[in-house]
Amino acid sequence: MHDCNVAGKHKKLPDYLENNIIRFACLLRAGGVRIGTSEVIDALQALQFIPLSEKTLFEATLKATLIKKAADQELFKKHFALFFTSPERKRKFQEIHQQKQAEHRARIEEAEKVLSFRGEQMDLSEMDKTVYAYMPARDQKKMQDFLQMNESRNTLSRGYRPFLETIVKGRLNFWYKQLGREIEEELNRPDAGDEELNAIQDAAAGTGRGGYNILTEDMQNIARRDLPRATILIRKMARLLVCRISRRYRSCKSRRKLNLPATIRHSIQYGGIPFRLKYRSRKEKKPQLLLLCDVSGSMIRYTSFVLQFIYGLNAVVKHIESFIFSEGLERITPYFQQGKGFDSIIKTIVEESKEWGGGTSLGKAVRSLILNYEEELNRNTIVIIVSDTRTIRHRDAVKMIRRLQNKVKEIIWLNTLPRGDWDKYTSIQMFQKAANMFPCNTLADLEQVLGKKFLTG
Amino acid sequence: MHLTLENLQKGFKKTGYICDEETILTVYLSLVLEKPILIEGPPGVGKTEMGKVLAQIYETDLIRLQCYEGLDENKALYEWNYQRQLLKIQLSKHDTETKQLEEDLFSPQYLLQRPLLQAIQAPRKVVLLVDEIDKSDDEFEAFLFEILSDFQVSVPELGTIQAKQIPIVVLTSNSERELSDGLKRRCIFLYLDFPKIEKEIEIIRARVPRAGKILTKEIAKAVNLIRQNAEIRKKPSIAETLDWTRALVSLNKDRLQSSTIKHTLSILLKNRADQRVFHEQIGADNLWERSRSGY
Repeated sequence: MHDCNVAGKHKKLPDYLENNIIRFACLLRAGGVRIGTSEVIDALQALQFIPLSEKTLFEATLKATLIKKAADQELFKKHFALFFTSPERKRKFQEIHQQKQAEHRARIEEAEKVLSFRGEQMDLSEMDKTVYAYMPARDQKKMQDFLQMNESRNTLSRGYRPFLETIVKGRLNFWYKQLGREIEEELNRPDAGDEELNAIQDAAAGTGRGGYNILTEDMQNIARRDLPRATILIRKMARLLVCRISRRYRSCKSRRKLNLPATIRHSIQYGGIPFRLKYRSRKEKKPQLLLLCDVSGSMIRYTSFVLQFIYGLNAVVKHIESFIFSEGLERITPYFQQGKGFDSIIKTIVEESKEWGGGTSLGKAVRSLILNYEEELNRNTIVIIVSDTRTIRHRDAVKMIRRLQNKVKEIIWLNTLPRGDWDKYTSIQMFQKAANMFPCNTLADLEQVLGKKFLTG
Repeated sequence: MHLTLENLQKGFKKTGYICDEETILTVYLSLVLEKPILIEGPPGVGKTEMGKVLAQIYETDLIRLQCYEGLDENKALYEWNYQRQLLKIQLSKHDTETKQLEEDLFSPQYLLQRPLLQAIQAPRKVVLLVDEIDKSDDEFEAFLFEILSDFQVSVPELGTIQAKQIPIVVLTSNSERELSDGLKRRCIFLYLDFPKIEKEIEIIRARVPRAGKILTKEIAKAVNLIRQNAEIRKKPSIAETLDWTRALVSLNKDRLQSSTIKHTLSILLKNRADQRVFHEQIGADNLWERSRSGY
């Protein structure tokens, strides 16, 4: 981890070009761009070869040396415009930032005042208070009324407080789930190094696409206007996933191995001299992919993602078997073999399938897969499951997943439930033992799955 | 060529490679910093061409290493010439100086140089094009580190071989897989996207001067419209635009027509699914009308 706070806690470095480049790199790092020291050195060296008075050349130089991913270019552009701007504009950012911080503090103080009983503050975490502070005013009022009502009951003693706390916490937990992104942004924004950089970071978060990053946004919340962009990304990632898991050459520590029997056999024609060495091939058979997608009620919010994912995979792999399931299992492979466009395929599937929006019985679906499609399951099959793991009779489902695991090469499970919620469900821990499970709640998650080592063998 | 930004711009112009200032600056930086340039982008935007153009500008050789799944050091760097070594052993059967023979067998004359070693051993600066690096395995990518950072390679039997001249290294990638941070750190990064309409007009004019002004503009606009459709899987590349232009010129067309688009569509879109998407969602009549508007 790079420590960007080189001048001490929240002290700004003197205004030299070199310092500003370092600070700009810190700002980008805080925004999620991976920049190492060598990139910063490259940038400083490169700047010696261009006229610094030319802003476009200056920007292009920093981009070429600091940014190594096409997806980060937009973020670079936005941060460059905000960082290399007039001192007046930067002061304005700081004023807004300070004002925002003051507002935040005031909201928390107000929350502490309200969330109390008989003059004593309730035992609530910082997160609970923050959730209250950002709840809609109407719901804050409802909670205030509820607490005041209890306060006015003279029959209730101080011992009633823990019970009240539990009710309040439950309500706040509900709102945490609703306001997740906003709250996380407020609390977990990384420290960029100094007050000015934090202010710029704040300004950057408030510009562009509604202040959120399409890659890190929960896929169910991606705005309608951003769907085409998300679609392109999902399909691209589906292609990358297939490319990654279907590599026939797996990395192996040893170099090519000599095939001694073949070498000796071949050397007979040269009087026993091993004139041509024969090697063992590392070529593997292309795995057969089988896709199993949950389209039950709990997954409805991810429908768009699931459909694009199925379509993306089918677009790049000719022989992929695709199934959807909720209470039962349905093979949808034939729909993709007609070579129709996305809209027409999905319309047909949605109209003709009975599985959309039903309850989930994963165990039943997997049992049906094992019984009816046995010929598709062999040691060369990789099963990709897209599901939030919410199913009835999960013990039965785990048993079936284990049975499936014994029949196929590998099970890759893309779980749309946020990683933070996994510990709450014992079923997930059980499923994890039976399959390789990865969080797949955001596009960034999906991107991370692609980087997993296991996919390269 | 004396390396300056202006000279490089002139060089690009001379070879007919049309690109924006930012691209030239990025190439310039990779050259002055003597770092490899990693070019990413969709297929057909001129990534490989960049290597060829640099070889033309520098009037030097282009050494190309085409990457693929399973590529290893033996095919990329060097291999001992086993056959020749065996013949030498046979010929020296009665020689008693075995130690001398062993030393001889592992001398450079028995080494088969593959592209990477050729580039390092070349007596003058050459352009080394490592094409489609994303198709190679992670193992090979890690192996490239040594060459790309220090411009030297280790041959266990011979020791370390230093580059005689630091080659101009161009790596291209279609982003089929994410490249490692280590590799990226050693490179200057350039993302090449499909050109804007105005740039594509310039490219067509430079490469197919026989095409009329109006036809050129209409073609550039039509191709741009097709590329905007998210459903089309294989977007038409610049090379395909040029092929289409040449085809239309040979048919003596001076403007786009709906029927011409229908009949020549297979030059731009080369798979059935994309052609179906085109007919369902764009349509030849619509494309013809939209490509004519605005000019």
